[in-house]
Amino acid sequence: MANSSEDKAEMEPGNERPADVESPENERLKAELSREHDLYLRTLADFDNYRRRIERERAGSAHAGKRDLVLPLLEVLDDFDRALEHLGDVPEWMSSGFVAIYRRLNSILQAQGIMPYESLGDRFDPVRHEAVGLMEGQDIEPGTVVAELSRGYTWGDEVLRPARVRVAQ
Amino acid sequence: MAKAVGIDLGTTNSVVAVMEGGKPTVIINSDGGRLTPSVVAYSKTGERLVGQLAKRQAAINPEQTIYSAKRFVGRRYSEVQSEIKNVPYRVTAGPNDAVRFEIAGKSVSPEEISSSVLRKLADDASKYIGEKVTDAVITVPAYFNDAQRQATKDAGKIAGLKVLRIINEPTAAALAYGLDKKKNETIMVFDLGGGTFDVSILEVGDGVFEVKATSGDTHLGGDDFDKRIVDWLAQGFLQDQGIELRKDRQALQRLTEAAEKAKIELSSVVETAISLPFITADAAGPKHLEMKLARAKFDQLTADLVERCVGPVKQALKDSKLSESDIDEVVLVGGSTRTPAVQALVRRLIAGKEPNQSVNPDEVVAIGAAIQAGVLAGEVKGVVLLDVTPLSLGIETLGGVMTKLVERNTTIPVRRSEVFSTAEDNQTAVDVHILQGERELARDNRTLGHFRLEGIRPAQRSLPQIEVTFDIDANGIVTVTARDKDTGKTQEITISGSTQLSRDEIDRMVKDAQGHADEDRRRHDEIEARNAANSVAYQAERQIRELGVSVPLNEKARAEQLIADIQQLTKSESSDIARLRQLTSDLQQLVYGLASASQGSTAAGGPQSTTPPPGGDDVIDAEFRPSK
Repeated sequence: MANSSEDKAEMEPGNERPADVESPENERLKAELSREHDLYLRTLADFDNYRRRIERERAGSAHAGKRDLVLPLLEVLDDFDRALEHLGDVPEWMSSGFVAIYRRLNSILQAQGIMPYESLGDRFDPVRHEAVGLMEGQDIEPGTVVAELSRGYTWGDEVLRPARVRVAQ
Repeated sequence: MAKAVGIDLGTTNSVVAVMEGGKPTVIINSDGGRLTPSVVAYSKTGERLVGQLAKRQAAINPEQTIYSAKRFVGRRYSEVQSEIKNVPYRVTAGPNDAVRFEIAGKSVSPEEISSSVLRKLADDASKYIGEKVTDAVITVPAYFNDAQRQATKDAGKIAGLKVLRIINEPTAAALAYGLDKKKNETIMVFDLGGGTFDVSILEVGDGVFEVKATSGDTHLGGDDFDKRIVDWLAQGFLQDQGIELRKDRQALQRLTEAAEKAKIELSSVVETAISLPFITADAAGPKHLEMKLARAKFDQLTADLVERCVGPVKQALKDSKLSESDIDEVVLVGGSTRTPAVQALVRRLIAGKEPNQSVNPDEVVAIGAAIQAGVLAGEVKGVVLLDVTPLSLGIETLGGVMTKLVERNTTIPVRRSEVFSTAEDNQTAVDVHILQGERELARDNRTLGHFRLEGIRPAQRSLPQIEVTFDIDANGIVTVTARDKDTGKTQEITISGSTQLSRDEIDRMVKDAQGHADEDRRRHDEIEARNAANSVAYQAERQIRELGVSVPLNEKARAEQLIADIQQLTKSESSDIARLRQLTSDLQQLVYGLASASQGSTAAGGPQSTTPPPGGDDVIDAEFRPSK
């Protein structure tokens, strides 16, 4: 916005300056213009980056929504895994039915690209494993996964949930 | 262009935020989380891990995994004896009694650990915003002394960041709520995090904050609340089953996770179920843990923890020589302030003041730091605050309907165009009636202006293309232009002050629209049905005229009867919409039949097509009502 008092000063007679000398008003306006231009570029850049990220996030948001549902379901699968260890104690008709339910749940997740992975015998890797503790003894190379307490899952290229493991000391 | 971020470098977790288009945004880290654990580890192979990855391997590498480095930063070895007892890694004295961590035979300073966390946060931020992050504002507790502040600044430097400023965490929290704009207020910031409790009293005047007093408890936080639940669960299980779950590392981990989940749930529900099947087994077989925890029981289990907050609050008031009635604003920081009992305590201590808690308490400090970073980098001050249109803008179209061109809450400046047409044959002028409001019908909205575009070449209805453009500049001045695409004739009107409605008036108009939504929808449908019926009747009449004698008599008679019925129905005030739709559809079928029959009986190049006018690459959205 133009400052009215300065405008008046400009119009006063006898206030002319040689053309090659920049008036302070010109200097000020130039500085203001370059500031405004900078701001304009910044806003454009912000918007451009924002748009790009929104595009990226739009692809990811469906994924994120599923993730909120799938992660607690994996805990149910963990319960199944624990239950399976005790199946010898129940009648055959029940254990086979139980295993069938477990398989169905697994295959629903696998159809969505959610895959369990084996960790036993692998070298401990914090990307794929979360350590619960060390295990002593044994003739195993230190740093090797010796027990899997809950399974790890991948989803496409990413680790959806690392496996919980014990590692050889 | 360099970007400045705000970093909340916490004891347990850190958060980074950035100003984007004038608004603070919390950055999602490379692991997909908003909180980054303040943990750094050196693996046996010499690799350095930061954040979530470092935390995951802590259990097998406790001596080379450094957490809570903030408790040591900038302090002397002789000052931190009590802290050393709480950590599994080795802490030694370096030069000048400085604290050093012994990691894999190397001596590492707390600043270096903090710098690794800062570096990761800055890298993740760069990736997220697609721009290199070079500058940062970092927060520290208000009680940090000069040495601790300097060490934090050094950590930033080691990370390659230009530290624009070190600011106090409570000040950042107050900034996030815009409290710097208040004149002479006293603010209490109540910060109950994962492992520390801080209470600060600030005074603000002319945008400057002054810390009047701070107090707290360096070992009180959400983790203590979780542990109470774990102990209660384990104790109950021990009594029922005779098995101590806390001795089994895996069971303990499951208990801890379930406890934290239960605590979070109890902030919104009054009872939660904790279910841990196959938690353990004995000779008799597997055992399950199934328990219910009511909020009342949780409050009872943690009552003494909540009470431990009282002393520091009283102390801070005493130190600042103030009473609770002098506090103008209370700001809640830290995830544990979501616990209802904690909130009740704050309300009890500072009676009559509703605490500020609309900003996520885990992120509020980083958000305030980002705002400060924006100010220092010259972004916030200079940022153009973009306004929005408070109400929708549009024009009246056939049947007295308002067709919106600019929806409410659209950010301005903005320009929107749509193509309209005429409603009658040989219509040579259109009235453009500019409206503002949320109701479906023109007459229920506010009129901003009128103008008339004349000189349209006589043509069939729906053929002329009139482009209407709304342009709203940054000051809310609306210019509406109508242009006949055929002749290029243009007419326009400028309306200023369209956005100068009072807040109350806008709210009233929006509420009014919500209140009438059903009725409006019904009337809108009715008008649409009438418009569609008239349009089909018009087409049918035209086609019968053009086909002339080739139309079988019985078909012609039926069509004429349908047209008459439609005209009668659309003229009457209370029309039967279902019947009107039925008639329209019948007539439409008949028109299609006529078209295909005539194509079969006449040679190519016969009568003119009866399909609606070609839209070219523009779609005609609505028709103007006939100009009178």
